[in-house]
Amino acid sequence: MDQKSLIVAGVDIGAATAKAVILERNNILSFSVLPTGYSVSQAGESVIRKALEKATLSFDDVQYIISTGYGRRGVSFSNRAVTEIICHAAGVSSIMPQARTVIDIGGQDSKVIRLDDSSNVINFVMNDKCAAGTGRFLEVMAGVLDVKINDMGPISLISKDPCEISSTCTIFAESEVVSLRAEGRGREDLLGGIHKAMSHRVVIMGKSIGFRKDVVFTGGVAKNVGIKEAMEDEIGLQILIPEEPQIMGALGAAMVAQADLEKLEKRS
Amino acid sequence: MANYYDELLRLCGFEDEEINKERFRIEKAFQRLEIGSQDMNLAESWIRQNHDLELRAVRKLLGIWLKELIDLVLAKDEGKKLVYYGFPTIAGPAAAIASASKDVYCVCPDVVLCYTMGQIFNKLTPILEAGEENGLPPGHGLCSLQQIRVGGMAKGIIPVPDLVLTSSYYCDMGSKADELLHQKYGHPAVYADGSMDSKWGEFPNYLLQRANFLGEELEKTLSKASEILGIEITTEARHEGASRSKKLFGALRDLVELMKGTDTQPLSIVELEIARRLTSGSVSKRVMGDGPNIIALLNREIKERIKKGVGVVENGAPKAMILMAHFSDPSIMRMMENSGLSIPVTVHTTLASRIMKTTPFIAGEKLAEEQLERGPFHGSYGEIKRAAEAAQEFNVDGVIFNYLFNCRPIAMLSHLLKQFVEKQTGIPVLSLEMDVYDSRAYSAAALRTRVETFADMLRARKASSGA
Repeated sequence: MDQKSLIVAGVDIGAATAKAVILERNNILSFSVLPTGYSVSQAGESVIRKALEKATLSFDDVQYIISTGYGRRGVSFSNRAVTEIICHAAGVSSIMPQARTVIDIGGQDSKVIRLDDSSNVINFVMNDKCAAGTGRFLEVMAGVLDVKINDMGPISLISKDPCEISSTCTIFAESEVVSLRAEGRGREDLLGGIHKAMSHRVVIMGKSIGFRKDVVFTGGVAKNVGIKEAMEDEIGLQILIPEEPQIMGALGAAMVAQADLEKLEKRS
Repeated sequence: MANYYDELLRLCGFEDEEINKERFRIEKAFQRLEIGSQDMNLAESWIRQNHDLELRAVRKLLGIWLKELIDLVLAKDEGKKLVYYGFPTIAGPAAAIASASKDVYCVCPDVVLCYTMGQIFNKLTPILEAGEENGLPPGHGLCSLQQIRVGGMAKGIIPVPDLVLTSSYYCDMGSKADELLHQKYGHPAVYADGSMDSKWGEFPNYLLQRANFLGEELEKTLSKASEILGIEITTEARHEGASRSKKLFGALRDLVELMKGTDTQPLSIVELEIARRLTSGSVSKRVMGDGPNIIALLNREIKERIKKGVGVVENGAPKAMILMAHFSDPSIMRMMENSGLSIPVTVHTTLASRIMKTTPFIAGEKLAEEQLERGPFHGSYGEIKRAAEAAQEFNVDGVIFNYLFNCRPIAMLSHLLKQFVEKQTGIPVLSLEMDVYDSRAYSAAALRTRVETFADMLRARKASSGA
C-alpha cells in the first residue's frame, strides 16, 4: 500500500448503532452500520473491520482514525475523539457545502446545528436527556402500533386527519396513543400525530437558534419521510436528506481525520 | 495514635498537632456524618483527582471548609447559639451577628455541606435523598440546595438552629424551604422581605422605596436576631463584621485581578471557587480571620506559577466565563478545563468583586443600595447586563450560561441571556442546563459533548480571527 494514499477512517458510536466510514482523499471507499450492542469497544472494532472488509483493506492501511458519538472515548484505536456535533457538521458540509442548518435525530438524542458560510459550527442545541424527539420515541410507538419502523413514514402520509398528541413525554404519549387507539382512530392518523408531535419537539428546540436554509436532516430518523414532511410544514423550509443520512457523523469524523493527517504531514 | 482519617486530613492541610488535639471532635462529627474508614479511599482519590494539592493554600482551603463542617455538626453540643442564613444572601447582617458574640455561630449549612460532603467526600447523594424524602420530593422542580439543607436536618447531621435568617429577595425557594423546616422543627425564623421585580431595562436605576424598604427589612432582621438570641448587636459589632468581610473580599479581589491579568490560567476554577465561596458558606472568625491569609498565600503561590509560565490548561486555550462553578462536584469544572477551555473566573465572582470595592454592611439602606447596584439582586436585566459587562472586562472568547432548571431566577434567563450577551458583545454563549448542587442527573459525562463542542467552536473562531 502506498504510504501517500491518505486512507483515514471515522467511527461513530451512537446509542443505538455504530457506524464507520473509510475515506481516501474525500472519496468514500466503504461504510458499515451495526447495532452498538452492550460493548462500545467491541462495537467500534466490529464496525471498522466490516467497513475495511468491504473496501478490501486491512486495519494497517488506515493512517488516522477519529472516533465520535457518545461512545467516542471508548474507541481505544482512534487517534482522537471529536464530538458528534462537530462531526455531523463536517460530514454534511463535505457533501452539501450549502448546508447552513443540520438537524440530526439519532437513537437517543436530537440536535440542531447552525453553520456559517464557511461551514463552521456557530451554534447548536441538543436534547439527550429525554426520549421525546429521538429515535427511541419512534421505536416505542412502532411497538404500540405493531408497525415496522421503516413503514411508519409512508403509512403516516396517507393520513388526512392526524391525531393531536399533546404530551411531550414518551411514556405519557404512549398512554395517549393507546387511548386514541381504543377510540378507534386509524393507524395512519395515529402515526401522523406521532410524527407531528415528535417534529414539534425538535423544531421548538431548534427555534432557539433559528433555522436557515439549506436545512439538512441526518441520523437514522431522517429515513422517515413522515417526520421530514412534518418538520418541513412547521419550519416552512425544504429539508434535504443525504443519500446515507445515518453515516454523516462517521463521514464527518473521517473528514476531520483527513484534515488532521494533512496538518501532520505538512508539519513533517 | 494514628487513625483512619489522618491522611485525608493531612491532604486537607491539617497539621499533625491539630489532628491530635481535635481527635475527639473529629471522630464525633464524622460519626454523625456517617463517615467511616470505608469512605477514606474514595475521598482521598476524589480530592487527589480533582484538587490541586500541590498548592499549600488549596490544602488549607479544603481544611478550612472541613473545620467549618465539624463546627457546624457540633455547634449545639458545644453550647453555641446556631444561626443559619441562606444562599444567595445579602452579605452583612450575619457577619454583624457573628461579631456581636463569640457564643454565636453563623453559617449557611447547605453550602458547607456542598463544599465538604461533595467536594471532599463525594458523598452528598444520601443527604439529597433525605431531602427528597422529607418534604422536597424529586420531579417537582425543587431546588437541590434546599434539599441538602432539609436532608441534612432530617438525617440529624446538622443541628436544628436557634434562628434562621431567610428571605426571598433573590429566590423564594429558600424562604419556602425554611418555612417547611420551621413547621417541622419549630425553630424561629426571621424573614427579610424583598422583591427583585424590576422592569426590563430599568437597571441600574431603581425606585428609592425599594432600597428604603429592603434597608428597613435588613435592620429589622438584626433587631429580631438580637431579641431572639439575647445578644446586643452594637455599632462596633457591625463595624467589626464589616471590616472582616472587607478583608476577605479584598484578598479575593486580588486573586481575581491576578486571574484577569494573565493569559496562562495558573489556577483551576475549582480552586478559585473554593476560596470565593468562603464568602457564602460561613462568617465565622476562622473564615473571616484565616480565610484572607490563606487566599493571600494562594496569591503568592499563583504569582510563582505565573513567573514560571505554569498553567493548568493548554496554552492558547479559548477563554470562557461561566455563570457559577459547581458547588459540590469538582469533576464537572475539571471536565470543562480538560475539554480545552480556560475558565479564569465565574460571572458571579466578578460581580462579587463590585461589593469588594465598597464598605460592606453598616446600615441597612446603604447595603440595600449596594446590592441593587450589583445587578443580580436588582432583576433579570441587571443580572444579564452585568454578565455582559463581566465578559467584556475579562475579554473572554465565550460565556457558558449554566442554568438550573429548578432555579426560577436563573432558569428564566436561559434564552434571554444568550440573546442579549451575543447581541451586545458578539461573544458566543452556550446555554447549558445543569445543576450546580446536585450532579446526579448532570454528571461530567452527560455534559461533556456540549462543552467539548463549544470549546471546538471557540477554537475555530479564534483561529479564523487570527487570534
